[in-house]
Amino acid sequence: MLFMEMQEIIQVKGLTKSFKNLTAVNDLSFSVREGDVYGFLGQNGAGKSTTIRMLLTLIEPTAGSIDLFGLSLNSYRTEILRQVGAVIEKPDVYKYLSAIDNLQLFARLSGLKPTHLQLMQQLEMVGLASRAKDIVKTFSQGMKQRLGIAVALIHNPKLIILDEPTNGLDPQGIADIRNLIRHLSKDLNKTILVSSHLLNEIEQIATRVLIIDKGKKLVEGSAAELFDPAQTLIELETLDNESAFNKLVQSNWKQALQPRRASTILIKLHRDHIPNLHRDLVALDIPVLSLQPRHSLEDFFLQVTSGQYANTH
Amino acid sequence: MRTLINIELYKIFKRPRTYIAFAAITALIVMIQFGLKVDGKTYVDFMLNDLGSTLQIEGNILNGYLVCYVMLQLLLVHVPLLIALIAADMISGEANMGTLRVLLSKPYSRTQFMLAKFIASTIYTLLLLVWLAFLALFVSMWVFGTDDMFLMKSSYVVLLKENDVFWRYIGAFGFAALAMTTVAALGFFLSVFAENSIGPIVATMSVIIFFTILSTMNIPIFNLVKPYLFTTHMIGWKEFFDIQVTDANEAIVGSIQYPERIINSSIVLLIHIILFVAAAIVVFKKKDVLS
Repeated sequence: MLFMEMQEIIQVKGLTKSFKNLTAVNDLSFSVREGDVYGFLGQNGAGKSTTIRMLLTLIEPTAGSIDLFGLSLNSYRTEILRQVGAVIEKPDVYKYLSAIDNLQLFARLSGLKPTHLQLMQQLEMVGLASRAKDIVKTFSQGMKQRLGIAVALIHNPKLIILDEPTNGLDPQGIADIRNLIRHLSKDLNKTILVSSHLLNEIEQIATRVLIIDKGKKLVEGSAAELFDPAQTLIELETLDNESAFNKLVQSNWKQALQPRRASTILIKLHRDHIPNLHRDLVALDIPVLSLQPRHSLEDFFLQVTSGQYANTH
Repeated sequence: MRTLINIELYKIFKRPRTYIAFAAITALIVMIQFGLKVDGKTYVDFMLNDLGSTLQIEGNILNGYLVCYVMLQLLLVHVPLLIALIAADMISGEANMGTLRVLLSKPYSRTQFMLAKFIASTIYTLLLLVWLAFLALFVSMWVFGTDDMFLMKSSYVVLLKENDVFWRYIGAFGFAALAMTTVAALGFFLSVFAENSIGPIVATMSVIIFFTILSTMNIPIFNLVKPYLFTTHMIGWKEFFDIQVTDANEAIVGSIQYPERIINSSIVLLIHIILFVAAAIVVFKKKDVLS
C-alpha cells in the first residue's frame, strides 16, 4: 500500500476510553504533523499511556477515531503498523536473549532479514555495540531502554512513539535519549510522539506539545508558544529569605517578585535576564544557596487550570 | 505465518525452562530402566504372582515393549505438567515480560499471533513425545531386547506377538500426542487470562487433577459427565493394546478390540482442542492489553 504524502501523520478525534467506573481518556482530539517531535505531557495517570496504547491497537477505544498516515487505524491496522515503531512505558525485550538476538528477532517480526553488519550499526546508534552478545538480563535500565529504542527503529518506521522513554534513567541516560530523539528528528526526519510527565524534558526537544489531565486536553500548541521564555519562573533559596525578599523589594526586581512563600522566593522574568538577576544578587549581598528555573508540570497545570495561562496567552 | 511460528519456536527453545521437561523425562526413564534392568525379575514375579500355577510363561517377558508400556502408564500422567510449563506460559509469560505490547504492535493480526503461538506449543508437545518415545521405546528395545508382549489387564491377560506390537506403539504415541495437545490447548486458553505464568500453570494442573478424579470415581452422578471430560479420554492410548479374539479365543493379529473407542475419544479430544483454542482467540481479540 502506498501512503499519500500527508501533512498530518496522526489525527485523533473524540477519542474516549472508559474502564468500568473510570474514564481514562475523555473526548481527546489532537493531530501530529509530519516531522514533529510531539510532546505528549501529563501527570502520572493523566491518560497518556492509554492514548498511546489505543494508537497501537493494544486497547480498543470506547469512542472516537484514529487516523494514521491519513488512513483509518481500524481499517488499515496492518499497513499502518508497518510504519510505526514504539517503546511503551518500559523497554520490552526478551531478557534471556542477547541484544543482537533481540534485535534480529524483532527485525524478522517486521519481515526483515538484516545482515550482522546492519544489526551492529543499529546497536552502534544506541551505544550498545560493545554489548551486542550479552544477555539482556545483565543490562542496566538505561541500556534496556536504548535497546528498546533500537528495536523500535529496526524496521525504519516513519512514526516513532516513545512512552516515557526517560523513566528510571540517570541524568546521563536522560541526556542520551534526548540526543537520540534529536538525531532521529533532525538527521533522519522521523516524526516522533514522545510522552512524559517531565515538562523540562519535553521543553528541550518538542516542536509541538499537548498537555492532558484526567484524560482531557488542557493545551495544545507549539513549544515556543507554550513555554514562553518571558514567563520563566526562578526559584531562589537564600540563607535568610526574609532579608533577601526585603532587599529585592527595594530593587529593580520588585515587579518580578511573586507573592511571598516561606521556603523560597519566586521571581518571574525573561530567561535572557537570568544573568542580570545573578549579578544583582551578588551586588545586593544576598547569600544565595540555590537559583534555578522552575519547570514543574504541576505549576504549569495550576497556571492553566487557574486561568493565568489563558490571561497571558 | 511461517515466520511467526519460527519466531515462537526460536523463543521456546532459547529458554532454559524448556529443557526442564526434556531433562525430567530423561531422568525418569533412565531411572526406571536402571531399576528394571537391575531388579526386573522381582517386578515380573510380582506381576505374575496372581497367575501362580495356572499359566506357564516362557521367554523374555521383561522386554523393551513391556518396559515401554509400564513407563507410558507412569509418565503420561505427569507429562501434562511439563507441557503446562510451556503452553500456559505462552501468553501470560509475554504479558509478564512486557513483550506482549511490542508483539501486538507489529503488523500481524491477533488471530495470527495466537495460532502461531498455539502451533509452536503443539510442536513443542510433539517433540517432547518424540523424545519420550525414543527413550521409552527405542532405548528400552535396545536395552531389554524384544519379544512377544505380555500384558496383565484387570480381569484378563493379553499376549501380543512380537511382530504385532510396534505399529500399536505408533498408534498409541499418535493418540498420546492428541491427548497432550489437548492439555496444551487448555494451558494456552488459561494463559490468556493471566499476567504471570504461575497462575495458568497451576490452574491447568488443577483442572486436570480435578477432572481425572471425576473420571476415575465410580459414583453414578459423576458418570453423567464422564463422557464429556477430556481426562476420561486421555487414557485411550491403552486401547491399542487390546486385541480381538476368535470364538476359539485365538488372538487376531493386527486387530484392536474396541477401535470405535479410540475414534470416539479422538473426536472428543479434537473437539476440546478446537474449543479451547477458539475460545482463547475470541477472548484475546477483545482483550485490552494493559500489562
